[in-house]
Amino acid sequence: MLRSRICEVIGIRYPIFQGGMAWVSDAKLAAAVSNAGGLGIISAMNADESYVREQIRLCRGLTDKPFGVNIMLMSPHVEAVAKLVAEEKVPVVTTGAGLPGKYMPAWIEAGIKVVPVVPSVAIARRVERGGATAVIAEGTESGGHVGELTTMALVPQVVDAVKIPVLAAGGIADGRGMAAAFMLGAEGVQCGTRFLSAYECGIHPNYKKKVLDARDIDTQVTGRRLGHPVRALRNPFVNKFAELERDPGVTDEALSAFGTGAVRKAAVDGNLQEGSFLAGQIAALVKREQSAQEIVEEMVGECEALLGRAGERIE
Amino acid sequence: MNEVYQKIVDIIVDAKGIDPDTIHYSSTFKDLNVDSLDIAEMTMTLEDEFGITIELEEGVNTVEDLVNLIVKRLKA
Repeated sequence: MLRSRICEVIGIRYPIFQGGMAWVSDAKLAAAVSNAGGLGIISAMNADESYVREQIRLCRGLTDKPFGVNIMLMSPHVEAVAKLVAEEKVPVVTTGAGLPGKYMPAWIEAGIKVVPVVPSVAIARRVERGGATAVIAEGTESGGHVGELTTMALVPQVVDAVKIPVLAAGGIADGRGMAAAFMLGAEGVQCGTRFLSAYECGIHPNYKKKVLDARDIDTQVTGRRLGHPVRALRNPFVNKFAELERDPGVTDEALSAFGTGAVRKAAVDGNLQEGSFLAGQIAALVKREQSAQEIVEEMVGECEALLGRAGERIE
Repeated sequence: MNEVYQKIVDIIVDAKGIDPDTIHYSSTFKDLNVDSLDIAEMTMTLEDEFGITIELEEGVNTVEDLVNLIVKRLKA
């Protein structure tokens, strides 16, 4: 049976985290993944503390297993939400889009296990020093906010640089990716895109269909000019954003304003023209709707089989 | 202070391969094409160099901001 330090320290059966995705990762999806033996994560996105509190309490009603909250550090409500998760003593906090250092002492004091998403070795070392329980090394293959390094390049370098367990993220959608991550030294994986197709994922059917129909070459990164590159499935919105981004006559403010609200339009409204359908490069590996339980068990089963057979390559 | 400034310039030149003459106290990291990952990397090096701890949440936008931050830590 596949075990790792991640299972021990977080108290989960399988070393799979479900990524915190804005307008996607709500209490229902998080609870389903936690009940399946992974770690479900609620996205605090740009929401205020009343929304996040409601989701935390909903999740507690749906599962007695550990779950997490992902805090987006660029959120306008980050201070209040950071305080809230400490008050609520959520089991795990993951962070993205910045450095969580100033919030970490209060979270750790509250008994929270802090697992930041890191895009580089220096940031991994920094959060380890700050008391992180583990780190998620996320490569540029992922959906949503992306860094520059690939998962293949980043994970082993982070593994070498820190003593705490490392989870790999970005480009992992099945047991093959998971087994590869373990070979790189990771002790767990975080998947986002794969869970978009979960029955318990409440996104608009148009979003699910776009993921299920995706080809390998269908994602594109935009927003580099703003310093916050984002990967999404190509559509009229992404094409227009890319066009505006190339136009020196368009100010950064105007570009940023054009993108505001687009993720909600995709996930909630299913607006195929104006929505930003965030997804990773492995969207095309997601082929059918399944329950969170099936996704988690299928991934772990494939991973165990592959790791078990790895020695057969050696004569 | 000059020692701190010079060390920062050296690190930027080394990391980004740019002409040291283009770096000034008032240069913004954005203009120098030094992003948040570079700053994280750079501050880890500076911490080792000066035996201090630097918190990055303090609005560091220019070379001068970083010099001031380090000098403050050295005095603390």
